[in-house]
Amino acid sequence: MTLVEFIVFAPLLAVLAILFGSPARATAIVAAVANLAAAGLMTLRFPVEVESKGQVIFASSRNLLASPNLNLAFGLDGISLVLVILTVLVTLAAVWASPAEGRIKGNVKLYYSSSLLIASGALGAFCATDLFFFYAFHELALIPTFLMIGIFGSGENRKRTAWTITIFLGVGSLILLAGLIALLVETGGKSFAFADLYAVGDKIPADAQKNIYLILLIGFGILVSLFPFHSWAPPAYAQAPTPVAMLHAGVLKKFGLYGLIRVAMPLLPEGAAHWQTLLLVLLLGNILILGLVTIAQRRLDTLLGYSSVMHMGYVFLGIASGNTIGLHGAVLLMFAHGISIALLFALAGAVRERMGTLDMDELGGGLAKKAPALGLLFGFAAFASIGLPGFANFAAEVMVFFGSFQPILETKKLGALQWAGILSLWGVVISAVYMLRAYRKIFKGPLTDKDAKAGIADLTLTERAPALLLIVALMAVGFVPGLLLKYLTPTLEAIAMSLKG
Amino acid sequence: MPAYALEIIVFSLGLVLLLVDAFAKLEDKRSLAWLGMLGLVVVFGLLFKVEPRAADDANVFWRFYSDSRMSLFFKGIAILSTILVLAMAIDYRGLIEKFTAPAEKKAHPQAGLGEFFALPVFACAGLMCMASATNLVSIFVSLEAVTITFYVMVAYMRRNVGSLEAGVKYLILGALSTGFLVYGFAWLYGITGSMDLAEIGAALKSGDVSPTAALFAFSLILVALGFKVGAVPFQMWIPDVYQGAPTPITAFLSVGSKAAGFIVLLRLSAVFLGSEAVAGQVAMAFAVVAGLTLIVGNLTAIPQSNFKRLLAYSSIAHAGFLLTALAAAPRKLEAGQLSSATVVAFYLGAYLLMTLLAFLVVGLVRVHRDSEEIEAYRGLGKSSPFLALALLIAMASLAGVPLTAGFFGKFFVFQLAIQGGHWWLVTLAAIGAGAGFYYYLKVVAAMYWDDPTGAAAKAAAIPVSALTRAAVVTLIVLIVIAGFAPRMILGLIG
Amino acid sequence: MDTGLTLNHFLAVSGILFAIGLAGVLIRRNIIVIFMCLELMLSAANLTLVAFSRFNTGANGAPDYHGQVLLFFIITVAAAEVAVGLAIIVALFRARETTDVTQIASMKN
Repeated sequence: MTLVEFIVFAPLLAVLAILFGSPARATAIVAAVANLAAAGLMTLRFPVEVESKGQVIFASSRNLLASPNLNLAFGLDGISLVLVILTVLVTLAAVWASPAEGRIKGNVKLYYSSSLLIASGALGAFCATDLFFFYAFHELALIPTFLMIGIFGSGENRKRTAWTITIFLGVGSLILLAGLIALLVETGGKSFAFADLYAVGDKIPADAQKNIYLILLIGFGILVSLFPFHSWAPPAYAQAPTPVAMLHAGVLKKFGLYGLIRVAMPLLPEGAAHWQTLLLVLLLGNILILGLVTIAQRRLDTLLGYSSVMHMGYVFLGIASGNTIGLHGAVLLMFAHGISIALLFALAGAVRERMGTLDMDELGGGLAKKAPALGLLFGFAAFASIGLPGFANFAAEVMVFFGSFQPILETKKLGALQWAGILSLWGVVISAVYMLRAYRKIFKGPLTDKDAKAGIADLTLTERAPALLLIVALMAVGFVPGLLLKYLTPTLEAIAMSLKG
Repeated sequence: MPAYALEIIVFSLGLVLLLVDAFAKLEDKRSLAWLGMLGLVVVFGLLFKVEPRAADDANVFWRFYSDSRMSLFFKGIAILSTILVLAMAIDYRGLIEKFTAPAEKKAHPQAGLGEFFALPVFACAGLMCMASATNLVSIFVSLEAVTITFYVMVAYMRRNVGSLEAGVKYLILGALSTGFLVYGFAWLYGITGSMDLAEIGAALKSGDVSPTAALFAFSLILVALGFKVGAVPFQMWIPDVYQGAPTPITAFLSVGSKAAGFIVLLRLSAVFLGSEAVAGQVAMAFAVVAGLTLIVGNLTAIPQSNFKRLLAYSSIAHAGFLLTALAAAPRKLEAGQLSSATVVAFYLGAYLLMTLLAFLVVGLVRVHRDSEEIEAYRGLGKSSPFLALALLIAMASLAGVPLTAGFFGKFFVFQLAIQGGHWWLVTLAAIGAGAGFYYYLKVVAAMYWDDPTGAAAKAAAIPVSALTRAAVVTLIVLIVIAGFAPRMILGLIG
Repeated sequence: MDTGLTLNHFLAVSGILFAIGLAGVLIRRNIIVIFMCLELMLSAANLTLVAFSRFNTGANGAPDYHGQVLLFFIITVAAAEVAVGLAIIVALFRARETTDVTQIASMKN
């Protein structure tokens, strides 16, 4: 068993152990810590110089079906490695930040095993080097999400919300499946392995590329909440229990972006070029229209939900630019955004637990006086989310913008991509507006009389630790982006080459 | 041992059960079911010991009988489903006794129970014959052996109006489909001059046969088999019959009877699809029926509130996917491509696992909660977590969640349809699968989200016997293994 | 003996029989009559089989007996079907006191 297989299956084994009576919280934390350790070990042993785009490290493959060639195959390249690090960090923070067993109303086993299943689904999807398991592991997370929001979600509408997210994601997955099968058929349908697909990929005729890319863009787009397929996300994140919101918004949603970079762009470069303008229009919808919608939010949870959807626009911008620097920015932003939104949801959960509401008018402000640690950590998270220097988000967003302007060196005139970049810059202003306003309203206002009297506890040690873990990761990568970028370069350069060629 | 020995053994087993029931004064007739299961398990083992037909074997019997891997696979499906149906019947016996016990006080309460354990074994023998039938006569006889046994089994609870109504409906529509079938067979025989499928295929291929007459025979046969497998527009009996029949029999109907219908359809469609003159229209007819079945089955399942009825519509929906595989049958098989028959066989194998798992739980809930409404499943996640988990996995697999057996079934169907360029069928199948997510998850939501209401709120956990527990665990393990490694099943199909 | 009857005459008669049977099944409400109509459809198939068997002569002028074999199986099966079917119908009549199919609709959603 390779380290990668261990990382994918450790949460599943933990789920089995929990089903057979092992204490839920302890088992989940042990599995998450073991995964973090394994990921650390992998990072240390990961060679920076990778020769070709098809090469994967820690590869393993077990044949399941001879024809078509189907393998339970895992392995890592730079992109997968970064996303695996993201996943194990967020998973640990999510199970750590989950309420203690006594405070969960309902089936504790279900609560923790669902989180682990979602984590395992994300890890499997990021590590799979076989198209089939890439898709299949992502679906593994669907039903746990459905159950978690329906049972443990907050708010009156949680059942409706659970249905909405499930139907959206289910339909998105089916569209994606149709696209992937069409892709398989175009490549001869003999093998699911990424390596085999890359080998024959550039022979797909241009017309087929255009059609399939559009199907994949819609399918992945629904999963990533690309405008106008975003409407499931904000309410779902607002009402999901904290660990699900952290895992889903932080990690699982990155699957669609990862899929575009991993599958759609290298195999369908002409399709990507053809639909670039459409993607630019849609991503501006994410950044500008949904950014304004975010400003209008009155509740912290929906505000965070919309802001998470909005920030997807920047990642799409990096993807749409299609050059090395833009792609670097996109992947780094997936990492940075995943950590920062998970952090925000964890802290929002802590606020909800203390105040019983996340409505910013009812909260009344001044929380920082009662709970200084909570205020401080939330401040860090908000700054990271806006993209202040020092946080990974800043480095990533800068690279995305550079990526969108880089073609100007050759073309010497402003094209659609550059205009999109210019307009997107306004998104930074928008996110500063809503994030700072939320921070001021909740933490820095005058203390209401009611709250002044009420005994509001500050964050406990168990709550601080996961938040600190995430902030440290954000700042480390923020100050030294090269920590992660060096692993990305070989793979992304190869993809950028294939897009140019 | 030649393959046909198995049918002889199973048929004798049925007779033995009847005789034991008649002459041994059994105090507890459950032992009949145990005996039946034991015998069938032995036969299932013998299935792997079958010697293929010797090349010089001149036995005239082989003109009616095929022992291909595919036939053996379908025999396996028949035996496995019968074993599980008997296991379910043991749990369900209380209700059967309630509706069949003689009116006299002195009579043994289980006086009407014995045949309930023997009849499935006879049906199994018929299903196994059908899996091997390659001649119109043997197809007809084995099909009727199964159908007539099912008439009795569906109407078995003779003091329960629902069961009787279901029996009458099944009887009328079954007999109607028999009428179409034999009339179609008569025409097929008339225009080709043979009863043997290979000879009929050759005659159709030669082009000496009028295409109009061939299509007429085909449409009659399609109508008849459409009834058997529950294809739209011949599906209207399914919901009522499924709802009224005793639950183990419903499970048997939806698995065994459907599998048998499909193997006959596979054999006959291969004959027609082999002929240039009619292949186009035949494939078109399959595509239209498949599209209708996908849409009607999936969309009418959505508003159902009775779980058994929901499963009935879901069985129609799955027939739609299976028919899609038939409609997308590739004219010429490329290397490495799965044939439409393999896909259908795989799908049916997966369908067997997940449907029987669902019905095992339905039967238990019916016995202990006295209801089949989805309402009765509220709070099952708390009161009986084991059964709820089993049903969750069954529903996930039926919906086609990856890493379960059901996903690969759908996946292969989609692959065939896309390879064949049947884009509108793919679209309908995708809509159907999306609707499927909704109605299967509705049950999951009831189990886990809602608190129980009414009588269910006070009900204790449902007791699960060791046999049922073993059956449930086996099915779950098989579903997950087949979801990771479909080769296991594909290897058996050959 | 040439009676002037050809295969087509037989096929036409059997087709009409089949149609009458089918129409009866669809139109009539009495379950016994429906059952009889079903038997009529089987008889139509039998007539077709015999006709084809008689006119598909082999090299020596003898009829092709395959069709007649199926015919005997159909007769046997039909008898079994009637035995089981009437038993079910009688049981239903005891429970519901009716033979009208439109009355048999207690299971609707």
